[in-house]
Amino acid sequence: MLKHLLNPLSVSEGGSTGILSNNGLGAVLSRAGVGKTSLLVQFAIHSLFNNRKVLHISLDDSVKKIHVWHKEIFRSMATDIDLPENVWEKILSNRFIMTFRVEGFSVPKLEERLSDLIEQKIFKPDMMIIDGLPFDENISGSLEAIKKLSEKINSKVWFTVRTHRHEEIAPNGLPTQIADFSDMFEYIINLNPQEKEIKVEVLKGRDDEVNEESLYLDPSSLLLFEK
Amino acid sequence: MKTDINKVRNIGISAHIDSGKTTLTERILFYTQRIHAIHDVKGKDGVGATMDSMELEKERGITIASAATFCEWKKHEINIIDTPGHVDFTIEVERSLRVLDGAILVLCSVGGVQSQSITVDQQMKRYKVPCVAFINKCDRSGANPFKVINQLRDKLGHNAVAMQIPIGLEEKLEGVVDLIEMKAIYFDGDNGEILRKEDIPENLAAEAAEKREALLESASMFSDELMEAILEEGEISADLIIDAVRKGTLLREITPVYMGSAYKNKGVQPLLDAVNNILPCPSEIENQALDLDNEEEPVVLSSSIDDPIVALAFKLEEGQYGQLTYIRVYQGALKKGDTVVNVRTGRKIKIGRLARMHAAQMEDIEMVPAGYIGALFGVDCASGDTFVHPDINLTMTSMFVPEPVISLAIVPVDKKSEVNISKALSRFTKEDPTFTTYVSDETGDTIISGMGELHLEVYVERMRREYKAEVETGKPRVAYRETITQRAEFNYTHKKQTGGSGQYGRIAGFIEPFSEGDFEFENKITGGSIPTQYISSCEKGFQSCLKKGPKMEFPVTGVKIQINDGASHSVDSSEMAFQAAARGAFMEGYLKAKPVIHEPIMKVVVETPTEFQGGVMGSLNQRRGIIVGTQDEGAICVVEAQVPLSEMFGYSTNLRSLTQGKAQFTMEFLTYRQVPQSIAEEIVKAAAEEKKK
Repeated sequence: MLKHLLNPLSVSEGGSTGILSNNGLGAVLSRAGVGKTSLLVQFAIHSLFNNRKVLHISLDDSVKKIHVWHKEIFRSMATDIDLPENVWEKILSNRFIMTFRVEGFSVPKLEERLSDLIEQKIFKPDMMIIDGLPFDENISGSLEAIKKLSEKINSKVWFTVRTHRHEEIAPNGLPTQIADFSDMFEYIINLNPQEKEIKVEVLKGRDDEVNEESLYLDPSSLLLFEK
Repeated sequence: MKTDINKVRNIGISAHIDSGKTTLTERILFYTQRIHAIHDVKGKDGVGATMDSMELEKERGITIASAATFCEWKKHEINIIDTPGHVDFTIEVERSLRVLDGAILVLCSVGGVQSQSITVDQQMKRYKVPCVAFINKCDRSGANPFKVINQLRDKLGHNAVAMQIPIGLEEKLEGVVDLIEMKAIYFDGDNGEILRKEDIPENLAAEAAEKREALLESASMFSDELMEAILEEGEISADLIIDAVRKGTLLREITPVYMGSAYKNKGVQPLLDAVNNILPCPSEIENQALDLDNEEEPVVLSSSIDDPIVALAFKLEEGQYGQLTYIRVYQGALKKGDTVVNVRTGRKIKIGRLARMHAAQMEDIEMVPAGYIGALFGVDCASGDTFVHPDINLTMTSMFVPEPVISLAIVPVDKKSEVNISKALSRFTKEDPTFTTYVSDETGDTIISGMGELHLEVYVERMRREYKAEVETGKPRVAYRETITQRAEFNYTHKKQTGGSGQYGRIAGFIEPFSEGDFEFENKITGGSIPTQYISSCEKGFQSCLKKGPKMEFPVTGVKIQINDGASHSVDSSEMAFQAAARGAFMEGYLKAKPVIHEPIMKVVVETPTEFQGGVMGSLNQRRGIIVGTQDEGAICVVEAQVPLSEMFGYSTNLRSLTQGKAQFTMEFLTYRQVPQSIAEEIVKAAAEEKKK
C-alpha cells in the first residue's frame, strides 16, 4: 500500500514532478458520482507526499466535506503503513481548501484570494484542483484566464469535467464539453465505469509512454490500482 | 393541566444582543397575562424585565442563562426557552437548542442581520430548528424592514417572505398590514393590548397587493391546493395560505417575516398568532436519544405518553425555593411519585414535587407529559442528565465530556468570599460538565478549568455577581501534556542501606508510546523475579510519575510500560522499595524515550465580510494557525483554521480591530498536537523560571 502514497503509478501526480508540467492543465472526465474528485484527491495526496502544495477549489461542496474527503482517502491509502504521527499534520499545512458558490465564482476573485495568500506568504500552490467548474456552460473566457493564472503563479491545474450518459462525441473523439478546448490540456483522463471496476482511460497524454491499459479505480474505495 | 400536544409550542427567541429580545419576551408575557405590568430592560424602576433572572444579566441588559417560561395564547401553551445569544456558551446554547422545537429570530430593523444573528442562525440550521423572523424596532430612526428581509436572503440564505408590511415607519409607525387577511392592524390602549382591524390605508394598497402576490407565489410552492386556487383566480382562504407557509417553514425552506416594535407595543400579538399557526408542535419534530446498550446508537423517540419516560434536565437554577431542575420530557410522562433513573449516575430518584416555571415564580403541577417542559425540586443532578424509566438505558446527550484545556488560579480576597466561592463552584460544576475545579497541591490555590478564556471569565464574573465572591485571578494557563516518541528500555535498581533493614528492588522492562489511551501497564514477569505481592506497588510507582512529567512537569499521557524482569531481596524488599524502584525506572526510561510536549489545538472558525478575508488569514497564520480552508458565501467568507490555544489569547480584540468589529469567531477544542521544538524550549524555560519563584 505504501506505493499508493509514494511510488507513483504510471498516471499520477507522484514522483518528482507528476504527470502534468509545472503550469500545465489537465482534466478528469466522467459522469456524476463515478470518482472524479476521488481521483484528484489521490493526485493531491501524491503531490503532498512529494512536498508539493495543493490548493483544492470546490464550487460544489463545503470546506468540511472536502477536508473529510481528503482525510478518508488518505486513511484508506495509508492502511497497513506505519506512518509517523505527524504526517497528516504536515499534509494539512501543505494543503488549502477554497470553496465558492458556483454563481459567485470568477477567476478575478480567485486571483484576488490567491494573491492575498501569496503576498502574506501563507500559501502558494504548486498544484490546483478546480472541482465543479460548469463545462456545460460557456467557460472559454474562464479557462483562458485560469491558464494565464497558472502561468503567472507557476502552478499546474487539474479540472473535473462532468459528462452525461447519452451524449454525442465530437469529431476529435472527445466529449463535447471539452472538445473545443482540448488544445489547452496536456492530459485528458476519462473514467469509464465497467462491470466490476472503473477504467481510467487516457484520452490525451503528454507522451505515449503511458500504459493506460492497466489502470483502474476500485469502485468501492475509489482508489487507483494497476493490474 | 391540558395535554393536547398539538397545542403546545416550545420556542426559543434568538437574537443579536441589542435587538430587543428581552423586551419582546416581556411583551409576550404581558399580552399572555403572565405578568401584569411591563418593566424595561435596564429599567429605571429597578425591577428589570422578568426573563433575565440572573443579576449579571440584569446589569448588562443581556441574557446568558436559559430560563424557561410558560404562557398561554389563544388556547395554545407556549414554553419560551430564553436562549443565550452569546457564541461562547456552547454547552448552554446547544442544550437549549435541543429543547426547543421552533424559534423566533429577532432582528433589528436598523442594524439588520449582524454577525451574531449569523451565528445564532447557523446554530438553528445545525439543529434544524424551524423559525419565523420578527423585525423589531421599526419605530427607530433609520428603520427599514425590507432591507433586513433582503439581508435575510443574501446573508443568511433564507427564503424570507414578508407576512406584513408596516404602516408608517420610524416615529410614525402606527401598525402593520396583514397580507393574508389584507387588513390593517392597529394597537390601541395604554399598552397596545386592544387590536383594531381596519381597511388598508389607500396609500399602502398597491404595495400590500404587490407583497401579497410575492407571499402567495412563495407559499404556493408548498401547496398544490394553493397553487390551483391562485390559478383559478378565485377566493383564497387564509387557512390555505397559512397551511402552505407552515409546510414550508417546517421544512426550513421558507421564513415568514413579521414586523413591529415591541417597545412601542406594536406587532407582538400577530407574532404570537404566528407561533400558534406556523411553528411546529412537539410531535411534529423527530427527537433522538442514544442507546447506551448499543454503543450510543441513535434511537428515535415517540412522543406518546404511554411509552417509558425519557426526560432531559437542561438547566439547573439555585432559586429561592432551593435547587430547581428544568426538564423537558421527550417520551412518556413524568408524574409525581414516579421513580426514574438518572442515566449518568445510575441512581434512582423519586419525583416529589413538579412545577411549571415562569422565570422566578412557579406553579405546582401533577404531571409533565411528552413534549412539555417542567421543573423538579430538590433533585440532585447535573445539567444534561437524562432521566429514564428504570427498564431502559437511553441518554439524550453523549456521555463524552471533553477535557478542559485551560486553567486559571483564583484567590479569594477575604474570608467571606472564600466561603462563597465554594458554594459557587459546586453549583457551576454541576451546571456545566466542561467546567472543573481542584485545589493545587503545590500552591494551595483553587484552580478552575474550562474550554476557553471567555468560558472562565464568565464564571469569575458570575462568582462576583451572584455569590458576592471577590477573587483575584492568575494568568490563564494552557493544559500542556507530555508524552514520549520512542521505545526505551530501563533496568533500575533501588538500593539503600541505612542501618536496620534496607530497601531493595530492581525493575527492568520498557516504556513505549501508546495511542489508545493515557496509560497502560503490562506485567510480563516470569519465574517470580519480582514477587507477585510487589507488582501492584510497581504499577503504583509508575502511576505516581504520570501526574508530573520528570522533564517539564506537565501531566504525562500516552505511555505504555511493560515490566519483564527484576530482582528482590528476602529481607530488604518492600512495597515502598518497589514503588521507589518504579519511580527510578520510569525516570531512566522516560528520558531516553525522547519526551515531547503536546498542546491543545483549537478549531477556529472566523466569519468575516469578504473584504477582510486577507487580514483574517494573516492573523491566524501569525498565531501558528494552519488554515484548513476558506468558504465563500456571497458577502461573507468563513475561514476555518486549526490554531494552538496558547496563541489565541486576546484574539477577539485583535479580530475586532482588524475587521472594524464586523467579524466574529468560534473556537472549540480539536486535538492535542506536538509543540514545535523552538516553542517547546520556551515553554520549558518559562516553567523552570516559575518553579524558581
